[in-house]
Amino acid sequence: MTAQEVRLCGLLLQEHFGEVVAKVGTHLLKSGAQNLRTIIHETGISLDLVKKSLCVLVQHGTCVFSSGRKAPGSPTEYRTSCDRILRILRYPRYIYTAKTLYGDTGELIIEELLQRGDMTMSSTVKTVADRLTQNMEEGRSMDYSEVSSAFSKLVETHFLQRCPPMAGAGTKDSGTPATPATPAIPESFPDCYRVPHVTLIGRGKRRLSNEDGEDQRNAKKTKMDSETHGDEGIYWQVNFERFHLHFRDQAIISAVANKLDQTSSEIVRTMLRMSEVTTSPTATCTKPLSANEIFRSLPSSYNIPRPILDQYLTLLVDDPMEFVGKAGESGGGMYVVNLHKALANLARATLESVVQERFGSRSARIFRLLLRKRHLEQKQVEDFAMIPAKEAKDMLYTLLSQNLVQLQEIPKTPDYAPSRTFYLYTVNQLPTARMLLQNCYKTVANLIERRLFESKESKRLLEKSQRIEAILASLQASGAEPEQLTEVEEMITAPEKQQLEALRLHINKLDSAENQVDETIFLLESYVNSTATS
Amino acid sequence: QTAGWVQCEELCQQFPHGITDQVIQNDMPHLEPQQRAMAINKLLSLGQLDLLRNSSGLLYRMKDMQSTSKMKGSDNQEKLVYQIIEDAGNKGIWSRDIRFKSNLPLTEINKILKNLESKKLIKAVKSVAASKKKVYMLYNLQPDRSVTGGAWYSDQDFESEFVEVLNQQCFKFLQSKAEAARDSKQSPMVQRNSSFATSHEVWKYICELGISKVDLSMDDIETILNTLIYDGKVEMTVIAAKEGTVGSVDGQMKLYRGVNPVIQPTGVVRTPCGLCPVFEDCHEGGEISPSNCIYMTEWLDF
Repeated sequence: MTAQEVRLCGLLLQEHFGEVVAKVGTHLLKSGAQNLRTIIHETGISLDLVKKSLCVLVQHGTCVFSSGRKAPGSPTEYRTSCDRILRILRYPRYIYTAKTLYGDTGELIIEELLQRGDMTMSSTVKTVADRLTQNMEEGRSMDYSEVSSAFSKLVETHFLQRCPPMAGAGTKDSGTPATPATPAIPESFPDCYRVPHVTLIGRGKRRLSNEDGEDQRNAKKTKMDSETHGDEGIYWQVNFERFHLHFRDQAIISAVANKLDQTSSEIVRTMLRMSEVTTSPTATCTKPLSANEIFRSLPSSYNIPRPILDQYLTLLVDDPMEFVGKAGESGGGMYVVNLHKALANLARATLESVVQERFGSRSARIFRLLLRKRHLEQKQVEDFAMIPAKEAKDMLYTLLSQNLVQLQEIPKTPDYAPSRTFYLYTVNQLPTARMLLQNCYKTVANLIERRLFESKESKRLLEKSQRIEAILASLQASGAEPEQLTEVEEMITAPEKQQLEALRLHINKLDSAENQVDETIFLLESYVNSTATS
Repeated sequence: QTAGWVQCEELCQQFPHGITDQVIQNDMPHLEPQQRAMAINKLLSLGQLDLLRNSSGLLYRMKDMQSTSKMKGSDNQEKLVYQIIEDAGNKGIWSRDIRFKSNLPLTEINKILKNLESKKLIKAVKSVAASKKKVYMLYNLQPDRSVTGGAWYSDQDFESEFVEVLNQQCFKFLQSKAEAARDSKQSPMVQRNSSFATSHEVWKYICELGISKVDLSMDDIETILNTLIYDGKVEMTVIAAKEGTVGSVDGQMKLYRGVNPVIQPTGVVRTPCGLCPVFEDCHEGGEISPSNCIYMTEWLDF
């Protein structure tokens, strides 16, 4: 839990849940597990607000609670972790992926679940159906069964999972041992991916536009809706790990497409698809697949003859990036996709890309040289990279000061005399990747802060434009004349309109930049995590 | 006495392969051994005789007229220094090493070196490794590569532009070969194999281009190709080749091929923070912060 991570988590919580939740959340991040009384005491926030904040955090899975560690029966302690909160940054990517895989229905299901934290299947289906109906033409509505089938598909492919049932909080039964500190892993429960039998007959309801007041009543009505559908108490949440595996596969496929060609990437895509369910998330490589199986599973649009497939597979195996490895000869050749190696290569390419963009292609040459040759003396670096001595020295010292390159001393004599010591330059990929990851967190936090600043600067203007829009809307609804409308529109002057437009562009740019940095974050995080398990 | 050594000289000239003491004795029986010795010494000091030893005893031989005229007027010390420099061949020798070998004091050495240089017998060549260090070698010798730096150095300056041009040309050659292979639409194995070029092929292409003033060897081209590998633009494999195949070295051939980058420039470098030179100093509320960052302002208005 580094300072940068805490800062970013604070900003994300503030944007999504508000200041109070952000305060409670960051406090828990910095201080570890605490019970309710301590939180109230240290943050100075009222009991009521703290309780509500904790509810929000627990609802979204960012906070877990467990019995106190001091003694059984001591007050429950609450704990948050950075990882889950940082996922908030990736919500747009999850939603977009669901859209590409399962269309608008899938997109809305994931969006609702991300916004609410967890929901039952029935409430999800109803809400999504209503939302889809809202956007459809007059007279058409979305049937519940369509949404249910999309939901079931998401569960089948493990993108959604059941929330693990909470152990009874605050058990007064002295016989029960304290619940373990680590939260139960959803997949340890056998019903994790079982769709419950629900009776959901109906269609989405369209919300009429002049029902502003009635919206409140409708919302209250849904809460008191005593319709039961057979799945009470079964809550669903988004399975982030599954999305991450999907992103990882996508990254590998596009890397193969860039390095080799489209057909090779299709072959790798097929192999990964076949291994989706048989490979564990932390595996180093997929289970071996025989060339025969691959040939049978290729999409029908790729009509390549069997010997050509063998050639492509051989080329993939021979490629220095080692995306694919050969594991045996049976069945026409057994092949695996080297997942961890591919991640390491992608991480290395990311590091090289950063050095290249930041310091120039000659520094990048030195960086790649050191990655290949591990340890080199000053003179050797100059000779291999064919860069004049003065410039090479300058570049190496810059890289050294930025901690991208390290210096290793090897003494010839025990007294470490400088004239009798070898000084070797080296690059360590893993620590450098970690450092770059922290820089990425800081970058995203900077972008968010700039975005908030830009909005604050133009707050007055934004409020004015909102007021004018509201006036326009009400005038239109009550049937005003065109002159009146234009009069109101002209209350915003042309330069103000320009300013608003510029502001809009700025905010969009900052938003999309956050997503771009998140792509880098994902690659580096996956790489760092893969080295932890292997 | 004076006639003695003149006669010895004539005798030596008569017998260019050298004469022994016995021969002198036979020729000039009236000469005392002492006088003989003095005559020989005189000739030696004049630098006209070489003193050699063979199985039967000492041999006195006339020195080559050319070298004698060169060394005329030089004394023994100079001759010694000259000998040492000559032995160093075309690698040259540093003044400090001359001192070690000859055991002469530094001031003497410097005087002698200046002398020899003015007589155009030796020359000083600046070593490319340490620009202050000078190595001495015979005047008419070509300095060795390790001193001048080889093809990449001209007058102690590293020819960066030349290296750059070669780098680009080699890459273009490999790239066009790879493209031709891709467009041929043959089976993938054939495509890949035809996109490879041996270092020999690249060398021939560069030589035929004629952009190099100096002769480049295949090793030179291979160092250029290695820099392309470190640029991430080229990859190399080694295959076994029959001895005698054109371009093979020690039964191996190196093949090079242009490659595509494996990822696009990564997300973080598309933001100002990814390239910011004052990234470390930036924090909210400070002199440099996201709110007042000028790089961000420029980037947003772009």
